[in-house]
Amino acid sequence: MAKKLKGDSFFLSANDLKTGSVVYYDGKSWSSKIEKAKKINRNQIEKYENIAKNFENKCIIISPLFVELTDKGKIKKLRDIIRYKGLTIKI
Amino acid sequence: MKQVILKKDKILQNEYVIINDLKDLSNFNSQKIIITVEQWLANKNILKKKKNIGIKLNSDESISMIKDDIDFFKMIQFNFITFKDGRPFSEAKKLRVEFKFKKEIRASGHILPDQYIFLLRCGFNSVEIETSKKKFWLEFLEMDSGLYYQP
Amino acid sequence: MYQYSEKDKQIVKNRTKEFLFQVKRRINGDLTEEEFKPLRLMNGLYLQLHAYMLRVAIPYGELSYIQLKKLAEISEKYDKGYGHFTTRQNIQFNWPKLEDVPKILEELADVEMHAIQTSGNCIRNISCDHLAGINNDEVEDPRPWCEIIRKWSTFHPEFSFLPRKFKIAVIACDTDRAAMKVHDIGLKLVKKKNEVGFEVFVGGGQGRSPFIAKKINDFVKKKDLLNYLEAILSIYNEMGRRDNIYKARIKILINELGEKKLKSLVENKFRKFADKKLSLKENEIQEIKNYFKLPISGPIKSEIPFKKNKQYTNWLNQNVIEHKLSGYSIIMVSLKPYNQPPGDATANQMKKLSKIAQEFSYGEIRVTHEQNLVLPHVKNSDLFNVWNQLKSINLATPNIGLITDAICCPGMDYCALATARSIPISQKISRYFKDQSIQEKIGKIKIKISGCINACGHHHVGNIGILGLDRNGEESYQISLGGSADENTNIGQIVGPSFPEKELMKAIKTIVKTFENNKKAKNEDFLTVFNRIGIDPFKKDLYETSNS
Repeated sequence: MAKKLKGDSFFLSANDLKTGSVVYYDGKSWSSKIEKAKKINRNQIEKYENIAKNFENKCIIISPLFVELTDKGKIKKLRDIIRYKGLTIKI
Repeated sequence: MKQVILKKDKILQNEYVIINDLKDLSNFNSQKIIITVEQWLANKNILKKKKNIGIKLNSDESISMIKDDIDFFKMIQFNFITFKDGRPFSEAKKLRVEFKFKKEIRASGHILPDQYIFLLRCGFNSVEIETSKKKFWLEFLEMDSGLYYQP
Repeated sequence: MYQYSEKDKQIVKNRTKEFLFQVKRRINGDLTEEEFKPLRLMNGLYLQLHAYMLRVAIPYGELSYIQLKKLAEISEKYDKGYGHFTTRQNIQFNWPKLEDVPKILEELADVEMHAIQTSGNCIRNISCDHLAGINNDEVEDPRPWCEIIRKWSTFHPEFSFLPRKFKIAVIACDTDRAAMKVHDIGLKLVKKKNEVGFEVFVGGGQGRSPFIAKKINDFVKKKDLLNYLEAILSIYNEMGRRDNIYKARIKILINELGEKKLKSLVENKFRKFADKKLSLKENEIQEIKNYFKLPISGPIKSEIPFKKNKQYTNWLNQNVIEHKLSGYSIIMVSLKPYNQPPGDATANQMKKLSKIAQEFSYGEIRVTHEQNLVLPHVKNSDLFNVWNQLKSINLATPNIGLITDAICCPGMDYCALATARSIPISQKISRYFKDQSIQEKIGKIKIKISGCINACGHHHVGNIGILGLDRNGEESYQISLGGSADENTNIGQIVGPSFPEKELMKAIKTIVKTFENNKKAKNEDFLTVFNRIGIDPFKKDLYETSNS
């Protein structure tokens, strides 16, 4: 997971196992509210990888990943923006 | 992980023992032993003098490697390196149809109870499973309706 | 239309029960995600960008009005009120919850539907010509064969853990409407010396490395079909690469072994292993054929209503085809309305279309691989009425085969594999070429858009193929030209460096202009012109002209 990561700060994200919803780790648990998401520094990656694994083993989340942030703490990649904000098209 | 042998719905102990060093072969006279393909190819002559030998093939080893000797074995075991590698299903079928092998075919390694009925239908008789998972294997056996689209 | 036997019903019911058991084990941790993933994939359940995605099987693209209605209801009850029709004639729901999926599968089973083998490393949906049974060119109706193959391939004990997915298509005439030659196995029903049999093609596919299928047998007898398919699948299961998922399809195997070697392996396997029980008897074949008899007994006297209505006339010209039986027509229902995500249908549209099909099309609807729908048997005299009803639900866009009738994958708006968005591109094309007369002037042209190299949007075989890439974090689009998925299947040629998103429309306009400038006759279509002039004029106009 952490091998190809670029950047200095991240959010930890995943999908809720039962609902599939996109969720963010807030330090204690997972919620869709990105405002509560915990900012993680590059040197903490391994620690949070393990935390994510624990939650995976408890069948709370699946597919954990790190969301790269800009210097200003905003989501950097378009893919992650879409994951957070939803579809860029109107239905 | 404690392992047992599942034959249809019966739980049995594994009668086959692994033998690491073939120099010790004489110690296993009264037992069924299971060897690897590598061991077989390197020691055919001494092994052929023994009875009750099973051979274990990994899912990336084909029966063509032992095709001239198939009848010799009492049991042929396919060890799944990963349950996603479906080659043993074809290998077992080949054993039954092309080589007319009538003896025991066993599955071991990383296999899921969800594959049980497929294994049986391809010609496997037994599976080496983790004791703790036996209830799932039996559940799949029970859920099986016996209705299939293929002969 | 095929109807489930008791056996079919029981098998689907059992599968639903099994899946419920698997979901329970997953939720309580008895199955890890690694173990659960291939199992859920075999039930068509993906994890995508925002949520799970459920791909429901529409075998060879055939739906009853009852089934379409149920799909609408499912989309409302468990999803966000719409579904997406795919290039393999299936439908996708983008927002189901894992815990709801067993219930969804139960409801689907009530109407003889399922999500079995729509994903995973197994044999997938058998795709078919959407005009099967209703055109004059076919040797015989391919649908019964699709049904025979579907049964044989479902829960096949030997072929459920293949190196990779496996796709089969069946056609029955020289015109290929099913992209047969870019399938792992393509089957073409042919007649030789008064006997009907199959030409067998192997090794087609798109994705990272596109290949056109090679013919390995000129004529396989009908009775031998399943045994022959077993031989091919068996060789593939044994020899297909498992070390690299990008080299695991049969197209790579045939490329590495060579056609001759693969053919001889298959023939050898077929001779050695042919199972009498798999040999098809005439009465078995006829039993399946009986389900596919046309609901119409014969031609009738029925005239197409004449109306002084331009929209209606455009629609008649673009979307309506003559049925094999005179007095009837085939209606192509465009799911590419102006500025909408292509291939999508809302619950409301599906419900109303279900009623239209029930009343006017003998209850039958079909899905094409180009993500449109078909009402296969409509009396000519009903055409104006049906058009009005379709129009009221925005399903009468008269653009079938035109530039705004593009194939488009869900792309990065939905898909976890995507490298760029694709739907906004198709919407831009839809907006720019909105004018009907401009579209008709451009004429027949197939634009196909994929949001990544997996090519679910079939960009390799588009007259204009568009592939969305990620260039240093920016969406960038590579264009290929001259591809085709019909009987003259051809992989498109990349025209040059990719275009950043904001320059893509300009590039497409340039391509259309180059085509128009090189037409020798008014009715020449894009592919004809491209095949004559080649790629260089397009390269020149796209890259050598100074910025304007």
